[in-house]
Amino acid sequence: MKLADRLAVWCRRLAVMTRKELVQLFRDTPLMGFLIYSFTLSVYVTGNGIQTQLKNAGLVVYDADRSVSSRELISRFHPPYFRFDGELTHPDEGFHWLDRGRSMMVLDIPARFHEALTAGEQTAVQLLVDTTNSPQGLSAAGYAARIVGQFSQELIMMRNGQTGSSSTTVPMILSDHRVWFNQDQNETWFESISHLLRMITIFAVLLPAAALVREKERGTVEQLLVSPLTPAQIMLPKVVAMTLVILGATAVALFGVMLPVFDVPIRGSIALLFLLTALFIVATAGIGVFASTVTKNQAQVGMMTLLVVAPMLLLSGIFTPLETMPAWVRYLMALSPLRYFIEIATGILLKGIGLEMLWSQALSMVALGGSLFGFGMWRFRKQFE
Amino acid sequence: MNIRRVAAVASKEWREVTRDRMFLLLAFCMPAVWMFVFGYGLVLDVEHISFVVVDRDHSSLSRDYLYRFYQSRYFSFQGELAGEGNADAWLQSGKARAVIIVPEQFQERLRSGQPTNVQTLIDGTFPLRADITKGYVIAINNAFNMDLLADHLARTRGLSRDEALRRTRPLGLEVRYLYNEEVRSTWSTVPALIMFSLMVSSPLLTALGVVREKETGSIYNIYSSTATRLEFLVGKLVPYVMISALNVVVLWLMAVLLFAVPFKGSLLLFLVTSILFVLTSTGIGLVVSLLVSTQQAALIITVVVSTVPTILFSGLIVPVSSLSQVSQFQAHLFPGMYYTNIVRGTFLKNVGPAVLWPDVLALVVYATVLGTVGYRLFTKRPRI
Repeated sequence: MKLADRLAVWCRRLAVMTRKELVQLFRDTPLMGFLIYSFTLSVYVTGNGIQTQLKNAGLVVYDADRSVSSRELISRFHPPYFRFDGELTHPDEGFHWLDRGRSMMVLDIPARFHEALTAGEQTAVQLLVDTTNSPQGLSAAGYAARIVGQFSQELIMMRNGQTGSSSTTVPMILSDHRVWFNQDQNETWFESISHLLRMITIFAVLLPAAALVREKERGTVEQLLVSPLTPAQIMLPKVVAMTLVILGATAVALFGVMLPVFDVPIRGSIALLFLLTALFIVATAGIGVFASTVTKNQAQVGMMTLLVVAPMLLLSGIFTPLETMPAWVRYLMALSPLRYFIEIATGILLKGIGLEMLWSQALSMVALGGSLFGFGMWRFRKQFE
Repeated sequence: MNIRRVAAVASKEWREVTRDRMFLLLAFCMPAVWMFVFGYGLVLDVEHISFVVVDRDHSSLSRDYLYRFYQSRYFSFQGELAGEGNADAWLQSGKARAVIIVPEQFQERLRSGQPTNVQTLIDGTFPLRADITKGYVIAINNAFNMDLLADHLARTRGLSRDEALRRTRPLGLEVRYLYNEEVRSTWSTVPALIMFSLMVSSPLLTALGVVREKETGSIYNIYSSTATRLEFLVGKLVPYVMISALNVVVLWLMAVLLFAVPFKGSLLLFLVTSILFVLTSTGIGLVVSLLVSTQQAALIITVVVSTVPTILFSGLIVPVSSLSQVSQFQAHLFPGMYYTNIVRGTFLKNVGPAVLWPDVLALVVYATVLGTVGYRLFTKRPRI
């Protein structure tokens, strides 16, 4: 047979097997329904709902002074960062509120607060912070420090005979921030993108893994092995079929939810985004393929993949910034395709950059996916020898 | 309900579990490995934010000012740029998350008692990081301003340096941290990780139980047996609740011994509510198993249902109070949130049933509803 004919046969077999996988997948109504939910409603709820910055931190106040100054200070703790939960009549009541988790902070303003301030004495207010959730507690304390700092600064201006606005003759640095790529710090953009990536990851690992193990569990893989199909022709169609389905779902999430509802911009090339998404799905599927070759049934493969996927989801920089991770986690996450893809996805969508800046991330995914597949294929052949 | 028949179903299930070595190993490994990896790895203090500077002034004061950033453990200096033009590329490639631009006449203006603008360009792709970066910059600027102001007062009013410093700090803030006095990240994450590990691993134990029997056809043995629906479901659940209960103990020991998190509350309350929680989390898997007809579907649905809300809506990192209303509603639909309150309450706050009863009650209601739904969904006479 000529090379061209053999190639044609190879491709036809691949196409036929891919079709078989797609038919099998679409027949599973609950699974398909759930896939649609995951890429639409779930993206909407998460994109809309998650607020990682300080918001609505409950504050109760014990104001022993009840003066103009104390009320002025209290009024600075305002929404959206803080939520005023009420005033206490006794300072110890604060513990009651914190114990029950009804508030996060107690602000304690001493008596003679106003007097001390007008007399030019030094004074201080006390803040009790619930740190059972330590980052939130620290962030709340940080905001409080900023508020008190600002309050102090204005006080100094007033004492030096100036009103707050005309600070022209005081030497100070005026902070001028410009947030790039997302001027309004709109959290829905990042949260919906990271949620989409989360969903792609879960489906890309689990769908092919489960499909491959199922054939083993049921013994249908023996039938396939005695057919003229090579191991690659058994394995690849599953990955191809799942990739097509997930890419379709991604398109639905992007054009059905993220663009129209959240106004997520597409500043870079949409074709490049989908191309690299396909690469990401295939690379991630490699994890599933590999797991499927070392397990015997679907319960095993589910647990095996989840064991790896959970750290990927939490530590790849889609949940908390990579900057927070200890060095060993950052090295470990070099093995996670998601760690590269989050930079690609936000890079193309929000920053509008192209392959000239993302090539190293893309190459890393190719290398990871390639080695996972190579290893998976080798194991797949080996297990039937 | 006949206890002997329940025991029979449970022992059959238990044998299946113990025969599958890999399954058994993973059932115990998963929570412990996660606890280990996340306990050490999921650190939440944002540090080492990479930044570059453009110093147009090149004066001793601008160097003093920038030195505060070089020194800070929150920032990591990447280099100095000749001009603003390159800032684009640094932010776009992600090699820098912030660019600090010191203007011309920085020293001159400040020394002559005039304000000056320092511009900071921040990569806003990750809003959390952008917000934290902004906070750090403001904190450094404020501290620098206080010193500038003190110098200025000392010079213009002829005050002593100490007196000037005192005048620039009229109002102090004394912060006291409660429950986690040293604000250790592990103290707050590790108890919540007990919730995470149980909530994500337990449903998977039961998720394939019934659907596997449906796929292989062995469910017909149950259909034709004398075991009632309830006996079957309870028997099916028992071994996995036992595995998860054992995991509760392992995770508690890891938290207390390995991570040295103080356990201030009642151990009895913790154990009882943990069993209750494990009952609900394994129950979720069982209900999924009853709903679908293929293991593949059961697997994926369970993973998504158990993982996603647990990461996002259970108070693990993002507090429930800062979620939007729809998400808060969703948070209340999953047992994770209630159990997080209980774990953090018993570990760090030393609060008892008087405070935690609403959460305990929610878990009881949850378990009851799951039981009822499971019972309704399972039928011994399926329509074919």
